[in-house]
Amino acid sequence: MKFLLSLSFLLMILSCKKSLDLQPTFYDCSPVPADSSSRNPNNSKYQALLNDMTSKGVVGIMMSVHDSKHGMWVGSSGMADLHNNIAMKSCNITRAGSIIKMYVAVTLLKLQEEGKLDLDDKVTDHLNDEILSKIKNTDKSTIRQLLQHSSGIYNYILNPQFQTASLNNLIKEWQAPDLLFYAKNMEPYFQPGEDVHYSNTGYIILGMLIEKIENKPLYQVLDEKIFTPLHQSKSFFAAKDKIPNGIVRGYVDFYSTLEVTESTYYSGWDYYTADGGLISNPYDMSVFIRTLMAGRIINTASLQEMLQWKRPREQDETLFETEYGLGIFRILTSKGVAYIHSGDAIGYYNTMLYFPSDGTTIIYSVNSNYGKIDQLISSKEAMEKIITTIKE
Amino acid sequence: MKSYLKKSLVAGCLFALMLLGNESFSQKNSMPVSVSIFNEATAIPFTKFTTRPFHPGIQVGSGFAYNQHRNHQWLQTINLIYYFHSDLNHGIGIYTEFGYQYMFKNGISFSPLLGVGYMRTYSVNEEFALDNGQYVKRKDKGNGRLMPSLSLEAGYYPKKNFNGTKFFLKYQAWAEYPYSPGFIPVMTHINLHAGVQFNKH
Repeated sequence: MKFLLSLSFLLMILSCKKSLDLQPTFYDCSPVPADSSSRNPNNSKYQALLNDMTSKGVVGIMMSVHDSKHGMWVGSSGMADLHNNIAMKSCNITRAGSIIKMYVAVTLLKLQEEGKLDLDDKVTDHLNDEILSKIKNTDKSTIRQLLQHSSGIYNYILNPQFQTASLNNLIKEWQAPDLLFYAKNMEPYFQPGEDVHYSNTGYIILGMLIEKIENKPLYQVLDEKIFTPLHQSKSFFAAKDKIPNGIVRGYVDFYSTLEVTESTYYSGWDYYTADGGLISNPYDMSVFIRTLMAGRIINTASLQEMLQWKRPREQDETLFETEYGLGIFRILTSKGVAYIHSGDAIGYYNTMLYFPSDGTTIIYSVNSNYGKIDQLISSKEAMEKIITTIKE
Repeated sequence: MKSYLKKSLVAGCLFALMLLGNESFSQKNSMPVSVSIFNEATAIPFTKFTTRPFHPGIQVGSGFAYNQHRNHQWLQTINLIYYFHSDLNHGIGIYTEFGYQYMFKNGISFSPLLGVGYMRTYSVNEEFALDNGQYVKRKDKGNGRLMPSLSLEAGYYPKKNFNGTKFFLKYQAWAEYPYSPGFIPVMTHINLHAGVQFNKH
């Protein structure tokens, strides 16, 4: 008995991990261009909104707001790194997770413009990997259906076996076949085209398809089609640099106690597959969506295709009324219609909002999530509060 | 909920003392002691047998039989358990099991066991707690949970006698409850044990 207790105590002492000691210069970043924050009449109101969120338990937050009247406002609150006591800056970079899906959709629309595919092609016209034959509905689905989450293909991330396996090995670097394994032989939600149901599996397949058509890694395709033309040096796909210098530390409230631990080095499933893995910041994401909506990344016809909406048969009462486009959603808020995509990783959360009525964009990035923090950042109430504060 | 868990811990400790003071031990003037090492994993029970990476654990236990016959017995165990789940947490707990054991003529035994106990986990990473609107570094006081379990054990008694040494493999499915209220209510685990039980005089 004494042996067990002694061994347990020894192991606990020996295996307590401290976060990395980093200098403030590690997080240095150049101020965003055309920043008119200090002249913005809403400067103090926006800052108070961010401060309120961090005072309630959000570790750190960056936000960009752009409207035609006041231009670009950027701000931040809270901490980029708790261990080293370093404050968040509005130009820092973070993980933006599933927002990559919008970039994947834009890439596929560009490939269609280039004549390399048709969105109504069957996925299997381009891909014939063996594992795909075991994922039900893949053989019947078109590229468009995968983009619009209307393929019915099972979402691997909802498989409890995947959820426990990912927790069991928090630093495993998941490749596409590892993740697709958890969708293998799973029943589809419906026949392709019958309804919509969010599926990360579909976007993994779309990433494989882009790599096959372009014969290069996805990160390189995204650089060439989007990030480089938009001069976005702070935005890239994680496979290019999984944990880049300057990335803010991530934190998780695993046990819903507002006692957070660092998660920066947890790989999640965010490195190599096209269902997540965007690294960016609110300024770059704002530039991306405004340029996209202005028809300057894809042409107007492609943009119209992207913004063709499909309603789910049933709405989730806890969320905004939602319709599905291609890599983008349309929600009805108290301040009108917004286009949206959110994304998270372990310890990170982001939301990108664009209001088509007046072109206002709101992007916020948080370096903490799960547990009680989710209620502060991703619930309908939290989003409504942000939207009403900014658009009132 | 926290006070409920504390009460459960106190009740568990009292129950453990009661078991260790049981007549079965004093009459025979010996006590069965089991020691096992195991691999812990978060997993859906009975969907996996072996898992990677290896999360080491060690368990020391004892127990007694309510009703012992030549080839079967009803039994109660009490165990102290520790595991180290890399990148996540340490867990230390106490639990008791009620089970049935059947031994074949060749000394091979089989036991299903139902258990309940208390587990306390400590993060392997630095912890920061919200204090007056700001996060401050804080010593991790751990998180307490109930630990229900269901185990299947296969053993071998070389002397073909319940009072002799036993070598065993045990597949233990268990849950942490509550895990993360409002987020993940329950977390399930499996432990695969290899161990030995002997009598300590």
